[in-house]
Amino acid sequence: MARQAAQSGRVRSDGTHEGFLRHENFRWLKIATIISLLAIVSYLLIDVQPRHNGGSWFGYTLGTIGVLIILWLSLIGIRKRKMSRGHWSLKAWTSAHVYLGLSLIVIGTLHTGFQLGWNVHTLAYVLMMIVILSGVWGISVYATLPKVMSANRDQTTEAQMLASLRSIDRQLHDAAQPLDQNHAELVRSSLDQDPFGGGIIRRMANRYPACKTRKAHDEILLIMGSQPGDKDDPLEKVGSLLGRKRAILARTRKHLQLKSMLEIWLYLHVPLTFALIAALVAHIVSVFFYW
Amino acid sequence: MSFLIRQISRTSDGREIIRAYPHDLREIIIGRDASCEIHLADLAVELRHARLTLQENGKLDVVALAGNGFEVDGSKTSQAIIDPAGGAELRFGSHLLVISVEDAVVVITAERIEVLSDSTQEKDEIGLFTLRALMPGRRQMAWALSIIILLALLVWPIQTFYNYQNAEKRPAGFHADSLWSSGSLSSSHAGLGMDCQSCHTEAFVAVPDSSCVACHDDVHDHADPKRLKLAKAPLNWDGKISRKIADGFNRPEGRCVECHTEHEGAGPMEETKQQFCSSCHTDMDKRLTDTKIANAGDFGTAHPQFKPEVITANGSPPKRERISLDQKPVEDSGLKFPHNIHLSNTNGVARMAGRMGKQFGFGQALDCKDCHVKTPDGVQFQPIDMEQSCAMCHSLGIEKIGDTVRTLRHGDPKMVVADIRAFYRAGGPYRVRTQQVMEGRKRPGDYARSQPYYAYFGSVNYSRADSAIRSVFSKGGACYDCHTVIAPPAGSDNWQVQKVYQTSRYMMKGWFDHAAHDTETCSSCHAAKQSGSASELLLPGIKTCRTCHGGEASNADVPSSCAMCHSFHADDGAPWVPKFDMTRKRDLSKTRIENDKARK
Repeated sequence: MARQAAQSGRVRSDGTHEGFLRHENFRWLKIATIISLLAIVSYLLIDVQPRHNGGSWFGYTLGTIGVLIILWLSLIGIRKRKMSRGHWSLKAWTSAHVYLGLSLIVIGTLHTGFQLGWNVHTLAYVLMMIVILSGVWGISVYATLPKVMSANRDQTTEAQMLASLRSIDRQLHDAAQPLDQNHAELVRSSLDQDPFGGGIIRRMANRYPACKTRKAHDEILLIMGSQPGDKDDPLEKVGSLLGRKRAILARTRKHLQLKSMLEIWLYLHVPLTFALIAALVAHIVSVFFYW
Repeated sequence: MSFLIRQISRTSDGREIIRAYPHDLREIIIGRDASCEIHLADLAVELRHARLTLQENGKLDVVALAGNGFEVDGSKTSQAIIDPAGGAELRFGSHLLVISVEDAVVVITAERIEVLSDSTQEKDEIGLFTLRALMPGRRQMAWALSIIILLALLVWPIQTFYNYQNAEKRPAGFHADSLWSSGSLSSSHAGLGMDCQSCHTEAFVAVPDSSCVACHDDVHDHADPKRLKLAKAPLNWDGKISRKIADGFNRPEGRCVECHTEHEGAGPMEETKQQFCSSCHTDMDKRLTDTKIANAGDFGTAHPQFKPEVITANGSPPKRERISLDQKPVEDSGLKFPHNIHLSNTNGVARMAGRMGKQFGFGQALDCKDCHVKTPDGVQFQPIDMEQSCAMCHSLGIEKIGDTVRTLRHGDPKMVVADIRAFYRAGGPYRVRTQQVMEGRKRPGDYARSQPYYAYFGSVNYSRADSAIRSVFSKGGACYDCHTVIAPPAGSDNWQVQKVYQTSRYMMKGWFDHAAHDTETCSSCHAAKQSGSASELLLPGIKTCRTCHGGEASNADVPSSCAMCHSFHADDGAPWVPKFDMTRKRDLSKTRIENDKARK
């Protein structure tokens, strides 16, 4: 996953920009791979009786390394708010954050000795895995979605999207003035509705089944279909305006969907990191408490 | 002039524009249609929505003209009489109409009070394009989750611990510190599941031996602790480091739980690994120079020959010594018994077994099981009982009275002497009686069909009790053939028979389970058919065992760690080992055939 993301990472052909994934020719990928391989090889070579588990000396060693890495990784929240250059530039730091984070999959899993259950220890492991996987998700959407987004935006800005929506609403309002009450009500329902309302699931799925604009447009198209065409018919104008509004809404909603996908991983990654640290505190204290 | 209509609108920068329209009418219409006197560009307003009539008494009559009503001072209605002097607020769609009187003219001020559409109202545009409005804050979520986890998985379990610290036993049901359990307890400890404190007695103190001994009160040390310490192999560098660290973290050495690890999952506890024994025993004589125990590391490659405990001198009690099988020890059990004659397929014993098969369940010849009966657990064999086994053929009958055969008392020489004397004293025609007794049969094999056996006295003059007594205890007599007889001094009747000691267990330091070897025949290990004397020890040596058994990590059919035969806390019982699944290895019968071939 990381490698894929790295290949599609932002790298300019003139070499002036190098993404955090490729930083220093994948230095941290190499370091993390070495750490992971060392952990795997020693896991296979060291004979822990009766079987590998977090409570052997080797298990404690892996656990200590793991918790130190986790604490260091979580410092990126502080680090990213302070700029610096050179070896410990934010880019270097982020590169290390990503690859060391991935190596935790190996270290953490070997630390468990594949003994999982319904307990505080496995909770810490599961939280760690969710945090790591949400990070992987974050990197992969950063690598793929911006392209899709700019294709969808087609050079319009977010402010322009909203401005055109406002403009079309005003035009709809004016055009609907002569309509009889039934038709006017259709237009009014489109105007009154918050077209982006609803929860996170609706936004991420980009499904708005109760969209009044679509309903109004469909009904007016149906009415017009049964009537002879008349250029001066205000209903005709309202119909075409609703069609335009519908197109603007589709683009804006798609934009919102893509943006939410770019953002949602942080809502897992950050709070669950703190939950993970809390679970680690409970995990470590419990081990020593019932020593 | 009756009405003055003031319509207020706002420019994009919020400035008010007021337009006033006077109407000299008694009746005006409110609606969306441009022809209405009060024209409201509001899609929620009908084309002709309501009519206002100024009545003679100066009051206003407001009547809705279509289905949608209007609001008067906040309450919905379709008709209302209003006193303009008192003022009122009428609401049509998004518009508010304020009624008042100025200079005897009814003034109606109309203003849109709601935005034209949802998108045109003032909104946080940045907020729309982020998830901030849709998701709980990251910081709040972080705090909430952390606090929940710390309360549920740290505070609650600790509270449970201190709650029951002085309690004898916890009540049944869930206890929060079980959330700390790193894995299920083994099946034998499963009952302790929710009572963590039955082992973890003190906070931040490693499980002490006292927790184990609280229940396992009969477990003793493997050896004198001082010698045990001496016997241990010195730690290598990594062992020293982990020992230092363990000491630093308050994990004392040599606790029960170091070998008996728990929380390794349900099922039987793990078998003790060979390494636990071999780390001391492989070269123990280097450190414990005075030890009598031979070095042993791996059953397949580094294990001394067995040293069964055999009776070297009969007596009361008999003298028992552990002698290596390599020294071919003989046992003085006090019994004479040739296995080869009894197990022959062709001799008289076999013929007799064939004839008596129906009565005693013999085959065409005698088999081991015809005399040797397993103990109920199948581990060992019950001692041979003369009356049960030998007497099937070797009767001690002396006289038949009706259908009942009188026998000499086995195991009681004095009673034998007394019985023979009583027999002769009873008088009568000796010849008839003695012939019946003394000549009834000699040995099994000379058995006459449907006749009982009688004790054989040898070829002597049977006319007198003294000679009959001497005969039965002398060579050729019933007692002498199987037992060592101690003759009395001249003139005495005090014949004695040396006591027979049968050994039920030879391997005193190890454990052999016959039941576990059900796949084998007796003869695949015990060469009884070739043995002509009871003093020969028919125990197989280590070579025989090694045809199936090898060390823990070997490729043998049955990889065997020390714990399969030896117990760390050795007692009279079997060592504890998990059940060995015979089906997990290839068919053992093949091995047996090879072994049998090799022995022949």
